[in-house]
Amino acid sequence: MYPLFEIDRQVEYSRGELLLRTFFGWIYIVLPHAFILGLLGIWSGILTFIAFWSILFTGRYPESMFEFQEQLQRWQIRFNAVTLNLSDGYPAFGLTAQHEGVHVEIPYPENLSRGELILKALFGFIYVIIPHGIILYLRLIATMILMIFAWFAVLFTGKYPAGMHEFNVGTLRWAFRVSLYMALMTDRYPPFSGRPDEWEGGELIDSYDEGDDLGGEPSDAFVPDPKDL
Amino acid sequence: MSEYQLIPQPEEIPIREREDAMGSYMMMFAAVGAGLPFPFLNLVASLIYYYINKAKGQFVKFHLVQSLLSQIPVTLINSVAVVWGVSLFISSTPVSSAFKGYLVMALILNIAYFIFSIVAAIRARRGEFYYFPVFGRIAFHQVFKEVESEDVYVGPINQPPA
Repeated sequence: MYPLFEIDRQVEYSRGELLLRTFFGWIYIVLPHAFILGLLGIWSGILTFIAFWSILFTGRYPESMFEFQEQLQRWQIRFNAVTLNLSDGYPAFGLTAQHEGVHVEIPYPENLSRGELILKALFGFIYVIIPHGIILYLRLIATMILMIFAWFAVLFTGKYPAGMHEFNVGTLRWAFRVSLYMALMTDRYPPFSGRPDEWEGGELIDSYDEGDDLGGEPSDAFVPDPKDL
Repeated sequence: MSEYQLIPQPEEIPIREREDAMGSYMMMFAAVGAGLPFPFLNLVASLIYYYINKAKGQFVKFHLVQSLLSQIPVTLINSVAVVWGVSLFISSTPVSSAFKGYLVMALILNIAYFIFSIVAAIRARRGEFYYFPVFGRIAFHQVFKEVESEDVYVGPINQPPA
């Protein structure tokens, strides 16, 4: 079971919304959302701390705490999707809300490894944060440049170039996987890739070993229905 | 008719509820981690946890109430220690024996509270009840007390204009 992260590329993007977001987005989107997300983030930190002990002693992430973390992740992602112009519309408030075109599903792990937990806590900085952080930092710079190009593309054509969309969503997906791993929500080491998990006939094809996608073609991976996960 | 409602047995309590009940005691860990300089943060975290989970069944609610009630005196004692310590530091007053004695007492109470909480968390995870001295009885009474419905007719609330 692998997490699902997908932000659909719309056929047409609104130029009006783009301009509105660019000039006033920080007032009507960033400020209210960041305030609430900040408060929920503190709570999330407390729950992660508790989950650590729970996993250590029982091998399980308390299910209702996991649900909260998943909902919070979903909220953060729809907020990012809109503020980074990857999706139109206003990100909905609320933990149970959904946003059209943003799909995030994190399967609940019945058991988590205690050994890996200790490894993450003691050496996570060395084997996760440093390697992923360096590459993600470089990729973020590329993403920011692409976002500027994409901004003009949307302004003049109303369309978000597919390759740029794929790459930028990939950056968010990469960061999402790293955060899931470090937030103790999965034991799967985050792949050095932003590509989506590829599914075929209901089975996952682990395509990460086949190479990085830093400059590759956008993937046309089949996105499974979240209900099937 | 008994004064208290039936107590759920371990096999009747789903794992999800057990974990939620356990979480109420685990808040103490968060308190130690995040709230040491500001002891009241512990209580705030526990209150939030209580309000989020209180509707999840009597077993969960009992542990929530017990955990919350037992945190109040510990938080007060810790708060006094912090305020006292800070005031001594600000006024550059030498640490008195009374303050040292208070700190030792606070430490003993915190250790006792820590042990009780750990035991309660383990028992809650097993789907069992564990009663703290004093607080256990209060929490049980609060949650499991049989409430008799008051079918007293008080008349229609909405009336035509006078």
